[in-house]
Amino acid sequence: MMWLSGGFIFRRGTSVYHRLDPRVKLLISILMFTTTLLVRTLYELAAVLTFMIVVAAVATVLHRVGRTMAFTALFSGFIFVVNFVFTRNLETSILYAARFVAIVVSTSLFFITTSPDELEQVMKTLRFPRDVVFAFVTAVRFIPVMFLDTIQIMDAQKSRGLELEQGNLLKRVRNMIPILIPLVVNSVVRSGELAEAMESRAYGSVPRPTSLVEYRASAKDTAVACAAVLLFAVTAYSFYFVLPAKIL
Amino acid sequence: MIEFQDVTFVHQNGVKALNEVSLKIDTGETVAVVGENGAGKTTLVKHVTGLLKPASGRVVVDGLDTSSTTTAKLSRKVGVAFQNPDHQLFSESVEEEMSFALKNFGFPTELVEQRVTWGLNLFGLEEYRKSSPLVLSGGEKKRLTLACILAWDPEVIILDEPTVGQDSIQKEKLAGTIKMLASSGKTVVVVSHDIEFLWPIQPRVVVMKAGKVVGDGPAGRLMLDRGLLDTARVAQPHLVEFYESLGRKPGTPFTDPLEARRWIEGEGTT
Repeated sequence: MMWLSGGFIFRRGTSVYHRLDPRVKLLISILMFTTTLLVRTLYELAAVLTFMIVVAAVATVLHRVGRTMAFTALFSGFIFVVNFVFTRNLETSILYAARFVAIVVSTSLFFITTSPDELEQVMKTLRFPRDVVFAFVTAVRFIPVMFLDTIQIMDAQKSRGLELEQGNLLKRVRNMIPILIPLVVNSVVRSGELAEAMESRAYGSVPRPTSLVEYRASAKDTAVACAAVLLFAVTAYSFYFVLPAKIL
Repeated sequence: MIEFQDVTFVHQNGVKALNEVSLKIDTGETVAVVGENGAGKTTLVKHVTGLLKPASGRVVVDGLDTSSTTTAKLSRKVGVAFQNPDHQLFSESVEEEMSFALKNFGFPTELVEQRVTWGLNLFGLEEYRKSSPLVLSGGEKKRLTLACILAWDPEVIILDEPTVGQDSIQKEKLAGTIKMLASSGKTVVVVSHDIEFLWPIQPRVVVMKAGKVVGDGPAGRLMLDRGLLDTARVAQPHLVEFYESLGRKPGTPFTDPLEARRWIEGEGTT
């Protein structure tokens, strides 16, 4: 589980990509996301995925993006089966399944290279309501804590003779009850305690609190953002006006 | 018997939590594992139940190599009460919580009932039998987790920070329970920062620092070794400090802190 979680959770890095302004990283992810929706053939999608892999390599998170892909493989397999059953079209089914992987990778690239603090600043810049920003960023920040909790709960229950990998599907689902109940209860208790702790530290006392960090895009950030938009425009133009709609 | 043979364990983030640890704990021994945060104490005891497998070396519990034995099988022999009780409580009532492991191990219904009643009485939880374990106080939850472990009568009992959230009366009771378990031949391993709690039990003390065992011996001797305790960032018990200061006072009839302790407790001949 921890292995899979590595594909979604932020860890500090020193790569060029990590050091970019978070708003630029968000822009790149949005553009990659949109591009995956524009592709019409498997070749175009392969080109987009290759670009994402290059970005992951630049950000030195290739292994972790690999984990993201492994995690999405199950869902993508499901998408393929459903599409194939209903459309009987192999190429379309593969395209939809692979497109799902690309969409997840494009968002994952943003989240694994952007700290919750940066995410908070980005959302504030985009004028999201403060409570929404706080709730969202806290949820992201607590994902690793929840994973750690899950592992500790599993350890505790396995030490009481619970065999999670034993029995048929129904038994395995029932075996999850001793894991899920403490996890949910702990989360509820923790959120209540967090709310009290925040209020006791004057959360919400002024409508527009000051910020420790104010982001200002550097020339490098602006150049990268412009290059990303240009590349997106060229790619979109190529997809619709240069490359054939169907290669096969 | 529990035996660690040159055990090394490395976390996923590359941190070496155990570094060639060799340790032998005989049946019936009471052992306290002490050390600062991150010294590797919890990692050490998690190897006993097979929750963690060594990267190199072997951990053998009662002849079973933990690397090739499931936690479910080992847990019949080894009961662990983890630090945070909220990580295990999930049932609708306290008695159901206590019977969870017993059912997993296939105990007959009559014996389950008997063991649950015994455990609840031992830890003063009988009045909460039908209550939800989630509404108990922190100290009561902690006692319930201990009762849950003792209910299936494991040969080895591991208590991870058992005194957290306990008042002084409960700590005394807990110390009494540990002594009772030791006298009934159980192997008890206590992981604790609470030196004041451990001192009256007088266990064998294993001192850990940065994944290594840096001290091993009876509490009466190790707790006097200020150099070792300072290195491992473990506080000396107040009583030992008191005995030492008493021993240094001119005109007192003893120079050895242990002798002073016996004198204070009325056991000495001075």
